[in-house]
Amino acid sequence: MRLVPMRFRFWLISGLAMAGVAGCAHRPPPVQPWQREHLSKRAMQFDADPQEDRFRQHWYGAREGGDLGYGQPGGGCGCN
Amino acid sequence: MARADDYVAVRGAYYREASTRVIQPMVEVQRESPSGIDVGAHFLIDTITSASIAAGTTVDNVFTEIRDEVGFRVRKRWERSDFSLAYKYSSESDYWSHSIGASYGVRLWADTAALRFTAGRSYDTMSAKGRTPDCRPGHPAEFCTLNAWFGGVSYSQVLSPVSIGQVSVESAYLDGFQGNLYRMVPSLMKYEFLPERRLRNAITPRFAYYIPATETGLQLHYRLYFDFYPGDSGTRSDPWELSSHTIEARVYQQVTPTLQVRFAFRYYRQSHAAFWCAPPNRPTTLPPTDFCAMATNPPSGYLNTAVYYTSDPKLGPVVTEYPEIQLMWAADALRTVPFVRWFAAGTFEISYGHYFQNTSFGNAHVLQTGYRLAF
Repeated sequence: MRLVPMRFRFWLISGLAMAGVAGCAHRPPPVQPWQREHLSKRAMQFDADPQEDRFRQHWYGAREGGDLGYGQPGGGCGCN
Repeated sequence: MARADDYVAVRGAYYREASTRVIQPMVEVQRESPSGIDVGAHFLIDTITSASIAAGTTVDNVFTEIRDEVGFRVRKRWERSDFSLAYKYSSESDYWSHSIGASYGVRLWADTAALRFTAGRSYDTMSAKGRTPDCRPGHPAEFCTLNAWFGGVSYSQVLSPVSIGQVSVESAYLDGFQGNLYRMVPSLMKYEFLPERRLRNAITPRFAYYIPATETGLQLHYRLYFDFYPGDSGTRSDPWELSSHTIEARVYQQVTPTLQVRFAFRYYRQSHAAFWCAPPNRPTTLPPTDFCAMATNPPSGYLNTAVYYTSDPKLGPVVTEYPEIQLMWAADALRTVPFVRWFAAGTFEISYGHYFQNTSFGNAHVLQTGYRLAF
């Protein structure tokens, strides 16, 4: 019985989060092109290190049961 | 530190815990063309030395496995969108995997937002050395298979000149053998057998904030994960019901114009799969549960009539913590040093982390090094 509310909660949280973030777009653009200096820095990018992420997901997937959430899952090995 | 679009990168990763050691060299190259067609490729080798071929056990016989992986990707860019295709092949002596993926991204709202759709498919084939495995009880076959379908969508939004948010939602459907063909369940003296179907889901919001005055970047990630058996979700028959929470915080600090340090801390906690039963280690008169022999906390022991059974530690209650420090150095200073000056156009990085686990795997040291040369 535990997962029925969890499924609803999952989609509810997903929808609210996306709608909330997207809601910012209904105002004028918050950032003009000449204001984006800091946004291009490595610290502001979520996928700046794909090689490192690949290795991390590989070992997390082998040691934890909840593998997913950072792009297409690695899989493809007999290390589980 | 800016990131060039064309690069070649070499990396080495080392992972060591009590009974397992992994050494992974890797090389990756990416080339972006003015025509808007980009290509990339990577190749890596995993050398896995373990105390047992069945990960998570404590049997004392050293075993070494080599895994090769190669991947290719092609991307076509337009003014506000892109489409990419990727292929990956992984090979071990007893496990082979093909996976394909496609991704479409579009920038919105005056380039302050990005929407990306991703889909993928993988085909895995495995065998067991020295025996014909039961892909399911009573159905031996030379090879077992695992097929997976993946789909995801992510939305990123610039919130201010110094902050950005992202939310991604992903699901993966797995159909086939999902265990380890070598892992025994000691109390039953049988090889493990897991439910053959699984729907895995995750929602991952992430937030980044930059402080220009101190040149400090902050990132906060959260991930909610849950899975279930398609068709049995929310019923007493659902053997999965594994859920987890992951929180990760990162701090990027520019120390000098060419040196950046990153501190990261990740916390992960999961509940056990419904069919996972701890080893029975004490007498009890508690009644059985839907999947286990005794209603201890967590439930323990398997009845001989159990449909699913495993001794995989990662399907039990797992808590891990991972603090890490990374140094990244743009090697401009080498420009005047004889013999090594051609390294000056690249960036070196090194990181060390300690992976704390509450399972029988034990804690692990993780060391990674890399060099990335833009061209």
